[in-house]
Amino acid sequence: MRKKHNSTQILIPIFCSLFFLSGCVPTYIFDDIMIIEGIGYDYIGNGKIIGTITTPNFVQGTGSGGSQSTGVPANGPMVRTLSAKTYDGKSLIDKFQAEGQMGLQGGKTRLMIYNKAMAKHGLLRQLSFRNRDPDLPRDMNLAVVEGNCREILTSNDYQAQMSVTQYIQNLIQDNSRQNYPETDLAKFLYAYYGAYMDPFMPLIRKQGDHLELRGLAIFKKDRYVMSIPNKKVFLFKMLFQKFNQGVYDMQYAHGKHIALRNVHTAISYYVRNGNSATPDIYAKVKVIGQVRQATPKAISKRTSQSVAKLFEKSLTYNAKALVHQFQKKGVDPLQLGDQVRSFTYHFDGASWPDRYPNAHFHCQVSVNIQQTGISN
Amino acid sequence: MFWKKKRNQRAEPDTPAKTIGGLFHQLKSNPDFIHFNHRSDTFTCWISFFHTLIDINFVHRDVLSFLYDRRVSSLNDAVRVLPMEKVIRTKDLTEIQAKLLDGYIIVQEKESSSECLLIPATKNHGRQVTEAETETSILGSHESLVESIEININLIRKRIPIPQLAIEEMRVGKISNTRVCLLSIDGVTNKENLNTIRQRIQSLEVTNLLDVAQLAILINDNGHSLFPQFLDTERPDRIASAIYEGKIAILVDGAPAALLLPTTIVEFFSAFDDYLVSWPIASAYRLLRLFAIAFSVTSSSFYVAILTFHYQLIPKELMSTLYTSRNSVPYDPIIEVLLLEIMIELLREAGARLPTKVGQTIGIVGGIVIGTASVQAGITSNVLLIIVAMSALAAFITPNYRMATTIRFIRFPFILSAQVLGLLGIALCYMLFVCHLIKLTSLGRPYIEPIFPLRVSDLKDAYIRLPYNNQTMRPLFLRTRDPGRARPKRVQAKKGKHKSDIDE
Repeated sequence: MRKKHNSTQILIPIFCSLFFLSGCVPTYIFDDIMIIEGIGYDYIGNGKIIGTITTPNFVQGTGSGGSQSTGVPANGPMVRTLSAKTYDGKSLIDKFQAEGQMGLQGGKTRLMIYNKAMAKHGLLRQLSFRNRDPDLPRDMNLAVVEGNCREILTSNDYQAQMSVTQYIQNLIQDNSRQNYPETDLAKFLYAYYGAYMDPFMPLIRKQGDHLELRGLAIFKKDRYVMSIPNKKVFLFKMLFQKFNQGVYDMQYAHGKHIALRNVHTAISYYVRNGNSATPDIYAKVKVIGQVRQATPKAISKRTSQSVAKLFEKSLTYNAKALVHQFQKKGVDPLQLGDQVRSFTYHFDGASWPDRYPNAHFHCQVSVNIQQTGISN
Repeated sequence: MFWKKKRNQRAEPDTPAKTIGGLFHQLKSNPDFIHFNHRSDTFTCWISFFHTLIDINFVHRDVLSFLYDRRVSSLNDAVRVLPMEKVIRTKDLTEIQAKLLDGYIIVQEKESSSECLLIPATKNHGRQVTEAETETSILGSHESLVESIEININLIRKRIPIPQLAIEEMRVGKISNTRVCLLSIDGVTNKENLNTIRQRIQSLEVTNLLDVAQLAILINDNGHSLFPQFLDTERPDRIASAIYEGKIAILVDGAPAALLLPTTIVEFFSAFDDYLVSWPIASAYRLLRLFAIAFSVTSSSFYVAILTFHYQLIPKELMSTLYTSRNSVPYDPIIEVLLLEIMIELLREAGARLPTKVGQTIGIVGGIVIGTASVQAGITSNVLLIIVAMSALAAFITPNYRMATTIRFIRFPFILSAQVLGLLGIALCYMLFVCHLIKLTSLGRPYIEPIFPLRVSDLKDAYIRLPYNNQTMRPLFLRTRDPGRARPKRVQAKKGKHKSDIDE
């Protein structure tokens, strides 16, 4: 005979176990841990890397609340940066634990940067390790650094009054609202693990007392192969995604420039003969923009049609050149292979890497200049 | 067991008087009991009453002067002469006793004769009808119920001037014999509801009943629940509108409030003012209340969960603010939260118990002085002080005081479960409460009705209030005998052709 339990008989053991076992759940009390903000990897050859982490020093640079009003001396994390040699793949956090006076936690990491040598060496181990760790945020920013990560993360001479990590992250995120394509760990991993596509990251360097974006670092799988300069990033983004608020600067004659700020750009692809040896990829780009900077008398309402034609020519030419460059290197950050696949029945994926460099890229750009600014 | 049995039998008062003489003997020691022999030339009688219960001027002017009349020579004459519509003549001792204690005068021919004349002379001494205190409103009627049931019924009858308003009186309490009235409209109110509530009240086994809230606790569906299952209100306009809707109202003599039943949970969050402002505004304020309650219940538990377990969820812009304010606090978030929550609870309790004038001072001392001091001393953090104060404020947005108390109380299980299992704990606690609410009934009707079971037509007057011309039906929840409130055709009829006035 089955004995019937009433609800108290069931609930009391549950509550007891909750009560007594709650001590077994590890707690991460926000101010009793060291939160890692940024991680940098410098490759020093021979399978060794120097890793650097930064933790935020909240007490420094926070004007309101905090230390003055409470009257109690504030004690923020003592260590601001740590760096150590490690063989790659090993978790930096575990390595550094012996040096942190509180538990190190990576759950709010905003930034991971790699120097060029590291990127050329390959990020495979780093990426699979990051991907495996569920504690890490997927919206953190990645970047390749020209120079030394450690120097960037530890130097004190920046003009900005915020932490370096925040500085770099703001730099990347603000620019990705304009000329730069959006990048984060999730998007990088998507392109890395996805078929017929290659990932990319922004490329930064330290220039005196500030940081600057240099362009995009293009990867072939996990290895850095080439970079595209800052002025071509507009073309890249134009072929990559729909966006606005980017600026394209055109030199139409020697020393004469017109800058176009786009208010809308749409890209649509069409593919023919996807399984042939030379597939045809048609890109149709529609740019709607405003002219806000121009050499005096370069453009007026009357001449805007002809200037638009100039822009169309320049954009088409340069976009084609950019794709050719990618094809030559055999990298596909624009995910053209994925476009071809989506337009082709029974797509032959195995031979795609061989066919990609031979694909014909046709580009048709139409520019519509809606405003030319105040010119009289 | 024998002693137990005996004790149970003694629920009635000691040695009930067997005869009228015995009754008078029992009462004689009371200083306010007056028992005297009146002699005139033609008529001799014994008059007895409690002078504290009767209107003495009325007795002198309208009773004694007529009894002293020359024409009166017997009780029969007295009945004829007395200018009252309801003079009772009885030998029933229990009735005599009850009426005597209700403020009647007893007139007998001989002291020991069991035949009595009962003359009503009740003194209605009570509070004047004043402004509503717990359910204050800016718009609408300012009257509120008082302790006297007659005045209360008067206030309601004035608002429902129809013969169908049925008032059913019952007596509750073995000793107190408190008057309890059920108010409903014949032909609208569901009979089943009426029978249920009548049966529940009649089968009550209590010695005394002093307040309507006590009655609500005695007759509710689940006595262990934290949630009030019947709505109590002190506004006669709210009572009247509920009765028109098909609800039952219960009045208890001596209590300045009424119960409305059956009730759903959403009605605890609607104020009567909602019906007096235009519907978009009323809806906006109802939604505001809803969010305030959600905030009030969960904010401090979210603080505990996130700061203890889920530092990943803190927005990066907020991190430095939180860090600097938490930095000097030596305790874990849970201790800090409990400290502040209990402090606010103490303040509220002290403010409610103290006299009004001191109460305000306590509010200032507690809120400003202790709050700032505890932050400066580094016992609690700035951010938490704001969260706790805001959630306390949000809890009092609830128009019903009993619901507000519930809202404030259920915060604590949430905080404790947040400490035990973090956000998962909050989710589990939430599940527990939702399961309980789904099971809960009010007079056998589902307590969270417009949501579960989903009745779309009742949602028109739940979280939002749609305009009156959309509300042509009485709530489905009440299962009224006359579900239509207005003829939809007429209510939604198109307006006449507009004559444009602007164009010249």
